[in-house]
This record gives sequence, C-alpha cells and structure tokens, in this order.
Amino acid sequence: MKVAVYWGCKIPTAQYAYEMSVRQVFPHFDIELVDLKGASCCGGPVRSINTSAAMYLSARNLALSSQTGLDDLLVPCNECHFMLSEAKYRIDNDEEMCKKVEDLLGEEGFKYSSGVRIWHVVDLLHDVVKVDTVKAKVKKPFKGLKFAVHPGCQIIRPSEIGRVDHAEKPRKLDALVEALEAETLDYSEKLDCCGAALLYSHEDAALSLAGSKLKAVQAYGVDGFVDTCPYCHIMYDARQKEATATVGGKLSLSVFYYTQLLGLALGIEQEKLGLHLNQSFDSEKLSLNDP
Amino acid sequence: MSLTDLMTMAKSNKELQKKILDQLWKVNPDECFQCMRCTSGCTSLKLLELKPHEITILVNSGFVEELVSSDIIWACASCLKCRERCPQKASPYDTIMALRNLTVEREAKVPEAYMKAVAQIIETGLTQQAQTVTSREMQPFNREKLGLPEMIYPNDKFKVVFMKVLGG
Repeated sequence: MKVAVYWGCKIPTAQYAYEMSVRQVFPHFDIELVDLKGASCCGGPVRSINTSAAMYLSARNLALSSQTGLDDLLVPCNECHFMLSEAKYRIDNDEEMCKKVEDLLGEEGFKYSSGVRIWHVVDLLHDVVKVDTVKAKVKKPFKGLKFAVHPGCQIIRPSEIGRVDHAEKPRKLDALVEALEAETLDYSEKLDCCGAALLYSHEDAALSLAGSKLKAVQAYGVDGFVDTCPYCHIMYDARQKEATATVGGKLSLSVFYYTQLLGLALGIEQEKLGLHLNQSFDSEKLSLNDP
Repeated sequence: MSLTDLMTMAKSNKELQKKILDQLWKVNPDECFQCMRCTSGCTSLKLLELKPHEITILVNSGFVEELVSSDIIWACASCLKCRERCPQKASPYDTIMALRNLTVEREAKVPEAYMKAVAQIIETGLTQQAQTVTSREMQPFNREKLGLPEMIYPNDKFKVVFMKVLGG
C-alpha cells in the first residue's frame, strides 16, 4: 500500500524523532510513504487570524495530496489532522467556502479533490494494519513495563467531522501499546489537554497544564508516557523541566512517540528512531531492549 | 471589575453581533440554554477563568465589542471539548475563533506569537524553518545529519495567493 504523507510544520522542522520513527516503522507493514512536495502549514494558528485563509491552507495540502494520485494521506500531527479534516468537512458541505477555496487554488494551478482519505498514525495502524498484525511483528516485547497513553485532543474531537477514535473513551492507542505486550492504564487525567495551543498567548498556563498532567501520571508509577502529536510531545518532553517548575516537586518521566516504541519492539536501533533526541528519556531508570 | 460587570454599562451592538453570526457555519449560539456543560469541562477554566457559556451569552446579547477588546478570547486552548459536548451545537470554540478573526479585522490587539507565525508562513510556507536541535548529550543535529530528506518549501506563487486571502 502506498500512502501520501503530510508532515506539517513542527515535525519536519524540529520534532525529527517523530519523522524518523514514522519513516522507519511503516515499511515493516508494507506501507510505502510518499512525501508531498511544497506543502505549507495546515493553517492551525491561522484559524485564529482568518478562518478562510486557514481553510485555503488545508485545502492546498489536500490538493497536493490528490496530485500524487494516491487516495490515502497520512497526517501524523494531531493539529494538522484536525485542520485538514475540518477543512475537508467544510469544503465538501459548504458551497460558498468550496467556491472560495477552489478559486484560490486555481491561481496556483491546483484543484481541490474531496476524494482524499485522511489518516493518523493511530488509525492507520489500528484500523488498516490491524492490532494483530502489529502484534505478530513484535520481536522485542515490552513485557513487565507499564505505559500511560496520551491520546491528545484534536484527533478525537469533534466526532461530527469523523475522528480517529472515540471522543470520550479513546482506546486505540492503548490497544497499540498493549500489542507490544506492555501494560496500559485507565486514569482520570487521560483526556486532559497538553496546553500547547496556549503557548501563543499564555505560556505559564500552558506549562502548568502540561506539568499537572505529568505530575499525576508519574504518581501512578508508570514506566513511561506515550504520545502521538508533535505539540503534545514538545510540552511533555522538550519542555518537561519548565513544566515541572510550574507544579513543584520533581518530575522525571520518560516520554516517547508511539512510533518510537513500536520501532524498538520491531527490533529497530534506538538511533534510527531518534531516541537520542528525547530530552526526557532516562535510560538509567528505564532500560529498553536495544538490539 | 469582570467582563460581566462591564456589561451593565455596555450597549448591545447588533451590527458586530451579525458579523460574528455570519462567520459561523453549522453553529448557532442562539440555541444555547446555558447548561454550562462547556464551562464544566473547559481546559482553561481553572487557570485562566475562561467560561465558554459566558462568551456565548455575551454574543447572544450583542456585547461583541467588549469581547473583541478583551484578553479572555485568547485563553482558549482549542481542546475542542466544548464543541464535542455542547448538546445544542452552539460550539463556543467556533464562536471564540470568529471573535478572534474579528479582532484581527478591526486591528485590535492580537498576541504577537500569532502574527509572527503568519509572517513566517508568508516567508517560508511553514510556521518555522528547519532547525538544528540538540540531543540529550547536547550534540547538534539537523535533518541532513539525521539522514532525513531535504525540505521542499512552497514556491513564490503560494506567497501571493496566501497574502491575497489574508487581505480578504
């Protein structure tokens, strides 16, 4: 299966570990990734400034995707996944917005196509590859380890536009972690937001939201924390120290992209999955099976 | 003095209210019956005192001027819980986005980081250019050193179209 991939802004410019691990794991399931050429921002921050401009940005990336001739588009960032899905839902159902966007795309010689199927890492693995197939490929299981998963906000809501998992009881990421023979847990802060969108206007509040969740998760005694979004990962991994300072106490929680854990379980070397870039990974406290 | 206290002195502005309602699609704040389900689950309630049900009733009462000049509309974390959970499809999230858009249109105060992101998109197509990052051992890494393919940014034609749509 060939799938187009839209990386967005944060992944290809800074969150390299996510890009590396996504590129590493999918070929193991016979999924070939085809990069979009000249993709732009999805319009996430632009939505606050000018909604039509944001819709245009997302539609442009959908048009680039259909240019590849492929029907499926992988969008590994939660915010980009929401923006592209939201734009598609709006353009497909709102004639006025559709006309506006088509005129703008025409100026660059692009054509909007409603036929693109949008996937995230979580549903592409869970619904297309299937959990049993993931399980069957595991060479180095995480037996005896327990991870808390962070589904994030924007891939599970709002359900009216079609999302990756259940809005209130997401379980797909848990199932994918359990496929690696690790344990997961249900915890009351599971749906709490990482706060990343508030970095634009209220940085302290953003860090405090991230810190509160990390503090709660650490208290459950887990071995690590798993996310699937570059924004959440920035908050929980790169900015964990600052987030800790806002809530007091001492935090030391190893945070991973799901695709990094999956890669390790498939037998891929840590370096190829960008594990050296994870700021929060405490390799002395948590020993992960490196081949 | 809170925003609601100010309302006792304010005058309803139907013209600005219409500007907000015209922007909304499949969302109707008018259907809100103040059940406060949005506020009870709001990510920004505790730390920033955002109360989405209040935003909704202020728009319904025509106090849009007061909202667009208030910091409170920038306190939303875009977690989308209010949009998911509203039993009346009034989605305070969408209303807040419309209020932010109107703030920009009226050239009122917008958090600088948003304007920086837009300027960067005009420049490169993305909110930031590819950066050199450091590993846990403080070693610098860029895309090339990590074996990642070279970035292909959008061409100049994109810039022209994006600036056109921004300008309305």
